[in-house]
Amino acid sequence: MWKYEKKLEYPVKIKKPDPTAAKIIITQFGGPDGELGAAMRYLSQRYTAPTPEIKAILNDIGTEELSHMEMICSIVYQLTRDLSPKEIKASGFDAYFVDHTNGLYPVQASGYPFSADIFQSTGDPIADITEDMGAEQKARLTYDNILRLVDDPDVRDVIKFLREREIVHFQRFGEALRLVTDKLDAKNFYAFNPSFDVKK
Amino acid sequence: MNEREKLLKKVQMYSFAVTDAALFLDTHPECSEALSFYNKYKKLCKEAKEQYEKAYGPLDVDSEQNNTRWAWVDGPFPWELSAN
Repeated sequence: MWKYEKKLEYPVKIKKPDPTAAKIIITQFGGPDGELGAAMRYLSQRYTAPTPEIKAILNDIGTEELSHMEMICSIVYQLTRDLSPKEIKASGFDAYFVDHTNGLYPVQASGYPFSADIFQSTGDPIADITEDMGAEQKARLTYDNILRLVDDPDVRDVIKFLREREIVHFQRFGEALRLVTDKLDAKNFYAFNPSFDVKK
Repeated sequence: MNEREKLLKKVQMYSFAVTDAALFLDTHPECSEALSFYNKYKKLCKEAKEQYEKAYGPLDVDSEQNNTRWAWVDGPFPWELSAN
C-alpha cells in the first residue's frame, strides 16, 4: 500500500506562466521516458524480482518516480495558470487546451497519449534491470534536452534536480544488476532465469 | 521565503536525505556508515516534521489531528504555487 505525504519531494515555485515550456515538459508526465512510465515499469517488475534487495530497490525507486510525476505535473500546472485565450493560441498550447483545458493528462510532447507500450516487465531480472538502466539514461537525456530549450531559472532548477535523480537511479540499478549476476552461473549469466527456473 | 516555506524546505531537505539513503541501503544493506547517516537524518526529519505540523497542519493523513477540524483538507495542496 501507499501513504501520501502532503509535500513535494523538491519545491516547485514557477513565478511566470509559460505554456510553450509546459508543452514540452509534459512529455516527462506521459511520454516514452516519462515519470509515469518509469513508476509503472518498476512497480510492475518488482513482483518477480529474484532477491530481497532487488524487490526493495524496484519498490523504492518506483515509489520515488510517483513523486517525480507529481513534480512534473506541478510544473505544468503552474506554467499554464492565468492564461488568456489569446496567449493560449499564440503559444501553440491550443491543441492540448481544446481537449483538456488546464487539466493534467498524460501525453507525449507530440500529443500522443501515455501508453504501456513504452515499457516491459519480462519476468527475467537481467532483461528487466538492463531495461531499467537504459530507461534512466533516456530520462536523463530528455531532461538534458529540456534544459536546452527552457531558460526560466525557476523551471531549470527543478529539472536539474530530476535529472540528478536519474543518474542516482542508474547507479542503484547498476548495483542491482551486479547483485543478480553475482548469484548466477559465472560462466553463463543466461543459463537460467533466477525468477523462473528452479535452480538445482 | 516566509517562515512556513523555510520550515517546509527543512522537512523536504531531511526527507530527501532519508529517501536517498534508503535507496543506497537497498543495495548495501550491511553498510553501517549509511545506516548511521540514515538514522541521523531520519531523526532530524521527524523533528522538522513535528515542528511544521504543530504550526501549519498535518503532512501525513494519520498525523495527530486536533478535535475541532479535519485539517488535512486545508490547502494549499503541494502542487499549488503558494504551497512551495
